[in-house]
Amino acid sequence: MAEARSGGSGPPQARAGGSEPPRAIICAGCALLCDDAAIVDADGAPALTPPCPLGTAWLAERAALTSKPAATVDGAPASVSAALARAAQLLREARRPLLCGFAQASVEDVRAALVLAERLRALLLLEVQRGPWPGTAAEALRGYASATLGEVRDRSQLIVIWREDPERTHPRLLERLGIGGPPPRLAPGRTLVVVDDRDTATAARAQLHLELPRERDLEALAILGLLARGRTPSASELVEPLRELHARVEAAGHVAFVHGAELTGGAGGQRRALALYELVRALARRLHAVTLALPISAGERGAREVLAWQTGYGTSVDFATGHPEPVLATRASAAGESADVVLAVEQADAYAAADAALIALSSVPPATDAAVWIRTAALGVQAAGTAHRLDGVPLTLRAPMGGDAASTAALLARLTEEAVA
Amino acid sequence: MSEIRISGGRVYDPANGIDGEVRDVCLRDGRVVADVGPTARRIDARGMVVMPGGVDIHSHIAGPAVNAARRLSPERRTAEPPRPSALLRSGSGGIVPSTFATGYRYALLGYTTVVEAAAPPLAARHVLAELRDTPLIDKAFLILMGNNQVLFELIRRAGGRTSPQLHDAIAWWLASTGGYGVKLVNPGGVECFKQRNGNVRALDDQLDGYAITPRQILEAIAGAVDQLGLPHPVHIHAHNLGVAGNADVTLETMRTLTGRRAHFAHIQFHSYGGEPGGPLRSRAAELAEFLNGHEEITADVGQVMFGEAVAMTADAPVAAMLRELGADKWLSHDTEVETGCGIVPYAYRRSSYVHALQWAIGLELFLLCRNPWQLMLSTDHPNGASFLSYPKLIRLLMDRSYREAEAARANQRAIGRSALRDGLEREYTLGEIAIITRAAPARRLGLVDKGHLGAGADADVTIYDDLADREAMFALPRYVIKGGKVLVQDGELRAVEDGVLLSARAPFDERIGEVLESLWGERYTVSFNNYPVGDAALREPARVIEATGGG
Repeated sequence: MAEARSGGSGPPQARAGGSEPPRAIICAGCALLCDDAAIVDADGAPALTPPCPLGTAWLAERAALTSKPAATVDGAPASVSAALARAAQLLREARRPLLCGFAQASVEDVRAALVLAERLRALLLLEVQRGPWPGTAAEALRGYASATLGEVRDRSQLIVIWREDPERTHPRLLERLGIGGPPPRLAPGRTLVVVDDRDTATAARAQLHLELPRERDLEALAILGLLARGRTPSASELVEPLRELHARVEAAGHVAFVHGAELTGGAGGQRRALALYELVRALARRLHAVTLALPISAGERGAREVLAWQTGYGTSVDFATGHPEPVLATRASAAGESADVVLAVEQADAYAAADAALIALSSVPPATDAAVWIRTAALGVQAAGTAHRLDGVPLTLRAPMGGDAASTAALLARLTEEAVA
Repeated sequence: MSEIRISGGRVYDPANGIDGEVRDVCLRDGRVVADVGPTARRIDARGMVVMPGGVDIHSHIAGPAVNAARRLSPERRTAEPPRPSALLRSGSGGIVPSTFATGYRYALLGYTTVVEAAAPPLAARHVLAELRDTPLIDKAFLILMGNNQVLFELIRRAGGRTSPQLHDAIAWWLASTGGYGVKLVNPGGVECFKQRNGNVRALDDQLDGYAITPRQILEAIAGAVDQLGLPHPVHIHAHNLGVAGNADVTLETMRTLTGRRAHFAHIQFHSYGGEPGGPLRSRAAELAEFLNGHEEITADVGQVMFGEAVAMTADAPVAAMLRELGADKWLSHDTEVETGCGIVPYAYRRSSYVHALQWAIGLELFLLCRNPWQLMLSTDHPNGASFLSYPKLIRLLMDRSYREAEAARANQRAIGRSALRDGLEREYTLGEIAIITRAAPARRLGLVDKGHLGAGADADVTIYDDLADREAMFALPRYVIKGGKVLVQDGELRAVEDGVLLSARAPFDERIGEVLESLWGERYTVSFNNYPVGDAALREPARVIEATGGG
């Protein structure tokens, strides 16, 4: 197992005068994992170049972590050893342990978490499973079509961003998809369409902004699906604006639908996801249609991949019987409610299981009171490790800054030894 | 010092000319040796058959496509889940098992080396991470290069030929990923599909935007692999997989590469007669005859077995074709610059004309190809069937009456259009089975320490009860020894270890980096410096096989 080590090329970036040369970094501020970034000094604080508010905030927060205690037990500063011992005791005594989070976890961290989960016979929920993430279940029902960033950048003549605002959530996505830049390398032109009833920063960049109420997403996708199959939809005031969108789609040889939890999460999300996949499948008979999902956090995609290859399921799993059993997306929240001890791995906002003791392993202090918190080396800042970009491409993040904390994977390994020896 | 004497078994070691002779096999410290001392552990193999550990030359066990297939069919994995123990990790089974289960099941089947046959270089980290979590077996992977836009440009610049820059680029890619060999899947065709659902139909089709042809891609890259002296020749998934009449392009491809080393993947799927859009016919006899006359060319069969399967291929047009035939689930993923992927969960039914003919064509190839060193056993797992079907396939090859009984249960119109109609008498011997399941794959992979039991070989040994029911025999080896350690005894795993990554390395001019970097930025969305996999934890433990520098 890879040991993600804290370490790096020097002390945190806090020099006056911008005298230190930029240090390369792969930014884990969101799931885009921009790997062309560098740390620069911005008036004594670390910042990223090319500029990104999310990335800079992510970096700045983690660069300042060395001033925090190494660990806390019941809110009071403690040694890492004492915190591990207390955490191990809680887990040993747990009736129904739950592991969750992984928002900022590396592949190595998730692998270590799975060893522990298996030994504890725990429930393991992915971060997005706090609310239903039915997109996963929809994939397993019919499949999907997707592509890496470069395919969309270089071939998509039409990019449809459906109810997401990447200018806010993934600030460099539009740039990296070539929007606002030169024409695609392998296509004659590129048009951005945004489907959203909000006047978002992303919508302001679009050539066409379809103002569609959220509650009509399913209906709209169904209408587009009918049009894609050459059928006539029932009368609706949505039909005409969607015909225009459909015409643009048909005229484009290559189209990409960009989507995220705003469309495929929450109540009814699975049906919307299915409707999107059916639309893409219908379009794929005549043109090249793909989707690009936008998970929010840097660890999300990698966590799903590790779960899938080690357990066979890319969803939350329950080890209660000794072997992994999938937890249905719509039941994940309910399943978590029965937990009496929650181990939140690299998740800043803790899972709110009522009456459960919280153990947090994270570089950033937990948002709620924790029985135990152990500060970890932040992935991509003080700890190296592998993460998967939102399109599945794996990258090795470096540790450009020094630090005194251990990696999450190393701490999980120690916790496993103590809790289930 | 660890010593084992396997005594009294009938040894099949075709690479060393041993065909059922009763003799001892001695192992010391992970290697086969001539003799061991009196204190060596003794395995009484009287009444048993002793072979080198199995070598699977073409399988799909790790990487983004395999993992997507796992997620695509959760309902297919709930039966007989692997149970964890002090020794074993948990997981799930089905047609595409989880990684730990994959390693355990291959080992329990007597295999000690497996090749992942199609890895996108951009996802090498992912492939390596899954292989690291696939225990017991030694592993290698082939990197997909047949639709690589950077290589297209190098081939174009060289006037459609191979070149020193192309050699260096391929060597760079192997070094950067930890790969073992070069795989070409529908060269040029996947690029056409990603553009606008197109495909290649003939070797001299011009690829839009690249000014090269599939034939040039084949010749240039095959030539480069030969010039580099890589241990394994170029590994080719030919054009028009699954399409009626595709035997034409398969034979044309073979003729194009005549005189060069080449390995053709899952040749069953490429041996079809008939007209595109029309009923399938068999042209297995022609393909077998071509192989019979060209010993520089080898193939693995890609046998279809009735039951569940998953079409999982970098040849995305194939999956799109299955989708249009009414597949319930379909997954497609385009990887920038390099390749594509299509996945369709599938099932082969003996009542189906097409499926029964595919089944028959695979058997025809096995039975009509004279030289077992040229035609290796595979089901292109999981495309034709799970690797767990190998014992049944072996029985079909060894037992004519069983084969005929199975043929009688299949669609008779299909059987009537195959050579099985007249009954093919040939029955594989144990020696021939040893060739097609270990000796020939190892030799073709250039793994000089595997696939045989001569002095110095890796101590990878599988011992079977000599049962009349050959399916039962090969399904449950009595012992599986790897690196001199007994991993399996009496059908149970007794030890678990990691296995080794097998990588190939060829020297290259470091200045190729400047050339590649100049072509990089406008194509990839990953920085050039972040692309190579340098993580020791992913690439170790490894055995590096050096290229010979000229073929």
